[in-house]
Amino acid sequence: MARTTKLSLNDWDTLHANGPFPLKTLYKTKLEASALMPSTLDRYNDAAQEIQKLIKEAKNKNMGFRAYGSAWSMSKIAHQKDSMHYNGHMNTYFSFMDQDLHALSSYEASNLFLFQCGNNIKEVSEKLAGHGKSLKTSGASNGQTIAGCISTGVHGSGINVGSVQDYVVGLNLIIGPDPGDIVYLERHTKPALNDVFVQKLRSRVIRNDGLFNAALVGLGSFGFIHGVVIEAQNLFLIKRYVRELKKDKAIALAESLDFKGFKSIPSELDSAGNGNIPYHYKVFVNQYKDNGNYVVELMYKKPFKLNYPDPFPVIKKSIYRDLVNLAVEIGSRVPSTIPIFINALKNSILPKVNEESTGTLAETFWDAPYQGPAFACSFGVDHKNSKKALEVLTKVSIDEGPIPGIFAMRFIKKSKATLSFARFPTTCMVEIDGVLWNEKKNIGTLKGFSKKMIQALKNSNIPFTIHWGKNADWAFPGLIDHMYGQDAKTWREYRCALLSDEMQKLFSNEFLTQTGLAIKETVNDPNLIKSLV
Amino acid sequence: MNIKRHVITVILSLFLLILLFNSCYSVRLRSVEGAYNPAAPIVRDDYYRDMEVIELDTVITIGVADKDFTYLIKVNDKCPTGKLHTVEYRNTLGGVLLSTITFGRKRLVKIKYVCMK
Repeated sequence: MARTTKLSLNDWDTLHANGPFPLKTLYKTKLEASALMPSTLDRYNDAAQEIQKLIKEAKNKNMGFRAYGSAWSMSKIAHQKDSMHYNGHMNTYFSFMDQDLHALSSYEASNLFLFQCGNNIKEVSEKLAGHGKSLKTSGASNGQTIAGCISTGVHGSGINVGSVQDYVVGLNLIIGPDPGDIVYLERHTKPALNDVFVQKLRSRVIRNDGLFNAALVGLGSFGFIHGVVIEAQNLFLIKRYVRELKKDKAIALAESLDFKGFKSIPSELDSAGNGNIPYHYKVFVNQYKDNGNYVVELMYKKPFKLNYPDPFPVIKKSIYRDLVNLAVEIGSRVPSTIPIFINALKNSILPKVNEESTGTLAETFWDAPYQGPAFACSFGVDHKNSKKALEVLTKVSIDEGPIPGIFAMRFIKKSKATLSFARFPTTCMVEIDGVLWNEKKNIGTLKGFSKKMIQALKNSNIPFTIHWGKNADWAFPGLIDHMYGQDAKTWREYRCALLSDEMQKLFSNEFLTQTGLAIKETVNDPNLIKSLV
Repeated sequence: MNIKRHVITVILSLFLLILLFNSCYSVRLRSVEGAYNPAAPIVRDDYYRDMEVIELDTVITIGVADKDFTYLIKVNDKCPTGKLHTVEYRNTLGGVLLSTITFGRKRLVKIKYVCMK
């Protein structure tokens, strides 16, 4: 049997020290030893039973229950005050054969994998590499669990790829303590696995685009995500370049994403002399120094081959945030010195200009060691508004701060997930990452700063979204309706149709209540979550 | 003359202090492959914040007939695979002195290690 350890705690914190938040009970479940239960399927189903037992316990005590993985989110999205479940040790996986696929499936069996919730991106990448496969994109880092990634919409900057949830083709959810409370969701227009395999997971299948899209970025509130079926692709290499571009040029590329005319990298021109389309484009912005240039990072996809140059000498150089922490400590006493420190430390904060490396996706976005308490605010806007949004947000950071962080812009293809913040045809994520400061000193609060940013975007009439896992004033009145409109209601309707009243409460938390997403909707259509294939 | 002696003493003391300070250092080895065994809840506030780190701070005794000493990494709750992800070895002046005065028979071991998940 899977083993669960129960810890009585007073509080819980995120990796980036954004808490502490109050917590009564923490559960940790480990799979049965493979020596005692050799079948992966048996261990997976055994773990599902264990989770149902814990859900029953929480239900009987009228407590909330929330799963979390690597605790990378900086918002309160992962937190639940009653009981939380750490699932990082639930990390088995399955590959598939043709006979496991649905008759209408358009997927290649060799590209499909089911990963249990607690596999982190690094584990997923290594397991896939063993099959000659790779993830299509990651969150430009590798520590988040696969379930955590999709719950919060984790993204990289693959301009034609999308977010992590966009290559998910199936979700195995535990939505209650009783038999029949394990469901497997797929899109009815793109089924992947057949009923025979789903029955092996002791699940009932629901193939329904609307439900699947709603549950995809489910904010941890559509039940316990036990398994995620993803579509992988063949291993590929990434050639990474760091360059300094004139600001106008970098912004023009951000607004157009037309790289045909970008000829600054001679090795990335096609036979007609036009610029290749990059896999990834990122712009770094130091709002405290205007030298007329921005540092940009471009990555191009290449076919996989062995014996490429070792990327680690370049990749292992990380931000010396301990030093930045010290600067912020000094700077918070005299805020006007923060820009001086950031300028002085820019070589440690920004990638080195003219740096180049080649590696797989997993190598290029390798381990990011902990570097002290951090914050990040990230706004999604249509990439055509990227210049305007950047101007508005950087101005707030200067006027309200100076805030100890620098901006970047990344780009994501539109997602089909109902509550994905990548909801524009191409979303530009304008983000500020930095070091948490002492709010008792002379700089304002992070909440106040994020509130001003929301107000500034609203005042400038720039439609926006906010990354679910990042810092924001999530209690800002009407925020969710402003960002998602009818889609927020649609999301709530699907949640209410799938979960019983008791389970809606159990899988809720303060974040959901604060954002108005815990509101109960009346479901008028009895076929709303009917399996359509 | 006294002042000169004092200055020399201070300089020598400073030199010794610098020597002492520099004799304490750590070296970390980390595999580029594999995921580390994670910690939950997260309580540390250092490099190992989200890692299940095992710390060894002990003195080992080497037998007269032994050439060396091997510390075995075994499977346990904190090390579910018995395989190493990260090892940090700390060298201290105390360790060097202990080894010196015992002719290498006693060795101070200060190690942090994290196993593979």
